[in-house]
Amino acid sequence: MSDGAVQTLSRALRFVAPLRGRVLVKMALLVASVLPLVLVPWPGKIVIDHVIEGLPLDPATYPFFVRPFAAWIAGGSVVEILLWTLAVQLVLLASVGAFGASGRERDEADAWLAGGHDTQTRTENEANAGFSLAGGVLGFLDLRYTMRLTQDLNHHFRSVLFQRLQALPMRTFDDERIGDAVYRVMIDTPSITTACWRILLTPIGAPAAIGIAAAALYFGYGEHPALMWAALGALPIALFATLPFAGALRRRSVDSREAGALTTSTAEEGLSQVLAVQSLGGGARERGRFDRDSWRGFGAYRAVLRTGMAAFLLGLLPGGLLASWAFLYTIDLVIAGTLSRGDFLVVFAYFTQAAFAALSLGTLWFELQGAAAGLSRVFRLLDLPSEADVAGAGTLAPILGEVRYEHVSYRHGDGTLAVDGVSFSARLGELVALVGPAGAGKTTLAHLLPRYLEPSAGCVRIDGVDTASVSLASLRGQVSYVFQETWLFDGSIEENLRLGAPDASAEQLARALRLARAEEFVTQLPQGLATRVGRGGSQFSVGQRQRLAIARALVRDTPILILDEPTSALDPETEQALVGSLREAGRGRLVLVIAHRLSTIRSADRILFLESGRLLEEGTHAELAARPAGAYRRFLELAHRAVP
Amino acid sequence: MSAANGAPNAATRDDPPSDEARASVRSVARVLARCLRLLAPLRNHLLLLCAGFAGLTLLLVPPSLLFLDLIWTRALQGEPLPELHAWLLRLDPAVSVHVDALSAELRRSVARRTIAGAVGVTALVAPAAMGLWYYQVWILQRLNQLLRMELIERFQNLSLRFHSEARVGDAIYRLTQDSAMVTSLVEVLLLTPAYTIGGYLLSVGLIATVDPRMALLLIAAWVPPLVASLVFSTPMRVGFRAARAANAALTARIQEGVVGIRTLKAYGAEAREQAVFEQASRDAFAAAFSARQRFALYAILIFAGVSTVLAAAAAWGALETSREAEVFAVRLFAATGLGAWNLGLFQWFRSRFGDGTNQLRRLFRTWGRAQDISIGLARVFEILDLAPEVVDAPDAIAVDGVRHGLTFRSVGFQYQDDRPALESIHLEVPVGGITAVVGPTGAGKSTLLALALRLFDPDRGAVELDGVDLRRLRLTDLRRAVAIALQENLLFGTTIRENIRYAVPDASDEAVRAAARIACADEFIEQLPLGYDTPLGERGSKLSTGQRQRLSLARAVLKDAPILLLDEPTASLDADTESRVFGQLAVWGRDRAILLVTHRLSTVRHAQRIAVLHHGQLVESGTHDDLMALGDGAYWRLVRADASEGPEG
Repeated sequence: MSDGAVQTLSRALRFVAPLRGRVLVKMALLVASVLPLVLVPWPGKIVIDHVIEGLPLDPATYPFFVRPFAAWIAGGSVVEILLWTLAVQLVLLASVGAFGASGRERDEADAWLAGGHDTQTRTENEANAGFSLAGGVLGFLDLRYTMRLTQDLNHHFRSVLFQRLQALPMRTFDDERIGDAVYRVMIDTPSITTACWRILLTPIGAPAAIGIAAAALYFGYGEHPALMWAALGALPIALFATLPFAGALRRRSVDSREAGALTTSTAEEGLSQVLAVQSLGGGARERGRFDRDSWRGFGAYRAVLRTGMAAFLLGLLPGGLLASWAFLYTIDLVIAGTLSRGDFLVVFAYFTQAAFAALSLGTLWFELQGAAAGLSRVFRLLDLPSEADVAGAGTLAPILGEVRYEHVSYRHGDGTLAVDGVSFSARLGELVALVGPAGAGKTTLAHLLPRYLEPSAGCVRIDGVDTASVSLASLRGQVSYVFQETWLFDGSIEENLRLGAPDASAEQLARALRLARAEEFVTQLPQGLATRVGRGGSQFSVGQRQRLAIARALVRDTPILILDEPTSALDPETEQALVGSLREAGRGRLVLVIAHRLSTIRSADRILFLESGRLLEEGTHAELAARPAGAYRRFLELAHRAVP
Repeated sequence: MSAANGAPNAATRDDPPSDEARASVRSVARVLARCLRLLAPLRNHLLLLCAGFAGLTLLLVPPSLLFLDLIWTRALQGEPLPELHAWLLRLDPAVSVHVDALSAELRRSVARRTIAGAVGVTALVAPAAMGLWYYQVWILQRLNQLLRMELIERFQNLSLRFHSEARVGDAIYRLTQDSAMVTSLVEVLLLTPAYTIGGYLLSVGLIATVDPRMALLLIAAWVPPLVASLVFSTPMRVGFRAARAANAALTARIQEGVVGIRTLKAYGAEAREQAVFEQASRDAFAAAFSARQRFALYAILIFAGVSTVLAAAAAWGALETSREAEVFAVRLFAATGLGAWNLGLFQWFRSRFGDGTNQLRRLFRTWGRAQDISIGLARVFEILDLAPEVVDAPDAIAVDGVRHGLTFRSVGFQYQDDRPALESIHLEVPVGGITAVVGPTGAGKSTLLALALRLFDPDRGAVELDGVDLRRLRLTDLRRAVAIALQENLLFGTTIRENIRYAVPDASDEAVRAAARIACADEFIEQLPLGYDTPLGERGSKLSTGQRQRLSLARAVLKDAPILLLDEPTASLDADTESRVFGQLAVWGRDRAILLVTHRLSTVRHAQRIAVLHHGQLVESGTHDDLMALGDGAYWRLVRADASEGPEG
């Protein structure tokens, strides 16, 4: 196993730490469920030796744990012996679900449902894995206990991942595909079940079963120690026969999971873009893409299967040789008259038990490899740098005065300078418009204020305090931002409005709707505020969504309000009304508007004119428009020409 | 234990039991019937697979009987060999057949040769069995793939009315998780029953040759699992349904949390979203727990039931062996020398009977899983059963060029709620320049475009292309004749070049550049370090809104269709860029029909015809000058509101 896998798995174990008390109970249950197996083969011997062959029953020939029962039935008739033995078998069956000599006559409780033949659909079983090495009453109780434990572990793990997803800086999501994120939460996290339980439980359960079989052989047939050693020999053989395949299996397992993520991502893209796909006649091509990705996922899963099969077949070889030798050795003892034919059955049963346990240990490597592949994808996400407060970040006091940008620059990851040495200040009570041609850096500049982005140089101060030194929560709690592309989640209008202010009163909601000019259409809806908005707000037109998004920001009632092209989808009449209300709403706060529309720009107290990331001009509309060769004036003239 | 036992019963009381019970049999049967259609392309593979497994099973019957007899009766008990055995083991009949008992040395020799033979048979059979299993996996994957493709095609063809309601996350779950169920279904409802029933019948037949009364006992072993199924089917179904619904809700929750991440962060709602997620996650687990423990209990009871029968049969067999009773089909066994019960036959009987009960156990466990699967598939078929609203007429006409243009004739339309979106619209969109439809937000402008694309069909009136109702045209032809650029910019996570030539995948680089020039997109693309090969993030999130708008415009232009639909295509462009874009579009569109809907009057300057839409009705139409001349009309008011925007005031 590679170092990476070891590291991944040991990290997974840390998630079990909080559950360690319950894991210890589960371990005890595990041993308790294999312990009764020591009794299971003996009724078979009694039937063969004393019922079928009619040999006399001498309790002294039985090991201590069977002797009391043997003494109890000794001297009874054949039928009596048979019935008592049958009764014992039925008791074993009801309590632990095992009664016969072969592995098939043993139940191991599980709740494994049918899954498809790809990695993805098998994970729901993993997330809810409940299992026991026993059946019957004990098996059922053990299973319930284990399933709860598994679910709690998975719940904790995927909650941590989801939390981390939310703490990632916004830019991270530009490159990560959404389907991929969903895939990680739903499909990759259950790998922790296999990883942790296989690491923690298999090394206890399997050796316990093998050890119990060996101990029983020792107590029953101490004069033939080779029998005990043969049972113990199953352990190293199972462990090391399959080891050479571990690396190949891990690589293929990684491939399989990545192919699965690609399928989900393709489906997500194709479905969420259904309009573009339909209108551009791309349906067949999207299907082709999905067809290819999906079949590749299946192929990758088959590759995992082939490797596993090859390993299994080769592992069969040493195991088969050991079993054959033990088989012949025991037969020779019977032929020599040392053991009875019933004893042969008992020895055979213990060997079977040991072999089954060894088999589960032998696949340990493979399952761990698969689990490590899934987990390393999760951990990669957990390790992405998240938005974090600097150590000892202060709390931003309620904003009273001004926001000041001091020589602020921002450089994109690809090296282009989006904002270049911008300095300005703005006070509460002002309506400031950011104006400039497309790509001038207006949105980037605005993103720097609530620290969606961190400046590459310079700093943003609020009331004289560098925003980098205060906690994100206290900063963002005082800034409301309305994005260019509005997003409403699939809940009621009211729930959407309360997103940033859960405790807002009904009057506050009504006021915000009125100010955002959304009141008219919301009240016309049959269900009013309780209307469900549909996926991405698709029930409403773009303009209606924009107004709801503005209302949502107003409900929060923060000192700073940033609007990124809030009215691009509104008609001039609605827009003018909205700008009027913004003035009203903006009393006592700083409203920063990114706008192309002249009507919006004109009503601003001050205009910041940006081009190529630089602040070229600053002033009121009248001042700037009056500058004969000013950049703003040139911009306006072009715009004016465009008006009929 | 009491809580565990109580749970299924409580669920039975909560739900209408008779309906659910009937539903469980019926829905499994119905789902199976639907699957048979999907199986058709794979029929030959499936038959071959079943034949392979059947052949392998039958082939192994004589060796297993022989093996147990050789080990138990001959090697362990020392009984003389029948002729057949001696011949097979290459042992001298003089010392092995015609004697009272085998010598110790010969018994050891029998054991060694038997084990060697068993190892040889295993070495042949194990790879063959694995090969068959692998073949089965391949067949089932193939089937899953076919169903996925059918689902995604159906999703694409469903009209937008459906998509506005459904959640993408839910759809993905159906597509991947639920459709995988069809695979399981074939495995669980078709292959497993075929194997288990086949194996069971084989066991009944073989045991009947030993003792027909014991075969009857094996048939009676059906009773306990049947009773368990009657009691458990309904609670299991109820549980599995709840578990699946909870899981789909969770997936949708995650999807939404990821899509809306920016807003959630901006509003400090992460903690609340986290709480909602954790609740959804806990709900999903709780639902799964209650469903799965019912299934586990059911499986345990079935094992206990059939095993009790097996234990009783084994005790009976032991009695028969102790008195060396004659077997039923003496003649059949005479050839092998096995005329009466002996230790080897007892072991064989026990393993055969055990096989029979084990098959029953598998069969009924499978029935339990089928309850889950039939629910998963019912959700898949729910989608497959949604008829697409827009379909080709049986005698659909091909579109062959566009000569005159589009006409809206008395068109009325409303969405699922009762608000009419459009009422008796008359509108001509002739070839030759831009026809603009202006009007306030929510006037019905975008609906007009959706009708022109036939994403919906009008409720009243008709949309016509060159005088032919769109409903009579072939949908693919219509969509080929129409290009569209929208307010919301739907880009794919490929390169800029791939996005522009999405509708025309084989367009030359030259054509891509020309289209980008018309949309004024070339200016920013060429400034990017990778130019046209710049990869875009999901939905093109690396670009600004204005840049995305220009890309989707270039994409529509490149399609080179006779009809171009534009929905606020330049809402996020600055006035200068917008003006240049429309100037170039007007030239490019001289021999095409362009329908532009907008509320920005700046964009209608280049339009030949203007129509004003208000509350779903067409209130005015004409050229800019015509409409202005009307005085105090709707258009005039719009212009006045807009015109107060000049630089000088």
